Amino acid sequence: MTMSRPRKVFFRRRKVCKFCADKIDYIDYKDVKLLQQFIPERSKILPRRISGTCATHQRPLQQAIKRARHLALIPFTTD
Amino acid sequence: MRTYELIFIVDPRVSDEDVVALTQEYKQMISAGGSEISTEENWGRRKLAYPIEKLTEGKYVFLGVTSQGGKTSLPEVEHRMRQNDKILRYLTVRTDEDIKRAARRKPSGRGPAGTGGTGAMGATGVNDEPVDGDLETGEEV
Repeated sequence: MTMSRPRKVFFRRRKVCKFCADKIDYIDYKDVKLLQQFIPERSKILPRRISGTCATHQRPLQQAIKRARHLALIPFTTD
Repeated sequence: MRTYELIFIVDPRVSDEDVVALTQEYKQMISAGGSEISTEENWGRRKLAYPIEKLTEGKYVFLGVTSQGGKTSLPEVEHRMRQNDKILRYLTVRTDEDIKRAARRKPSGRGPAGTGGTGAMGATGVNDEPVDGDLETGEEV
């Protein structure tokens, strides 16, 4: 009875939170290399919808980036 | 027990000896307030990501502080730094709570990933719903 309809299959790479995947629990504001991955050219904080970071990790990430900015470890903006 | 991190940036024109003397002064203030210095790192000259007071470089000093709770002399140290023109920037962060919270998250770290997988399966289930709806209307007729 049940007919199998042809269904369109979307191939989209599933975004995974980097911090969940790498098991980084404490995001250190001193780890410039790590933070740099989340600040593109314009030095804005990469939004969650792009980076795929989960909310639990985006919050401390944001905090860490702001602390690093204050200490001039990473720029506020590039001109 | 509470842990703090103290970072300050000194004017690069200040000599290394003076930086050490300054650090010594702050360390004394901290230990006088009943806290211990757990780590001390001198990062030396570093390029600033943006100019501060028209300077492009700074000397970074990092201090790790442990306190047994209660009062610390950190507010006084901060006050002292604020008044010193040679200190370009400073930051005091309490770290024990964040590290503890991160450690607690560890066991449940796999949880969200698992629920995300079932969520995706649920999404494919949504596509089947119109089919069920069609069957129901067929029965009514």
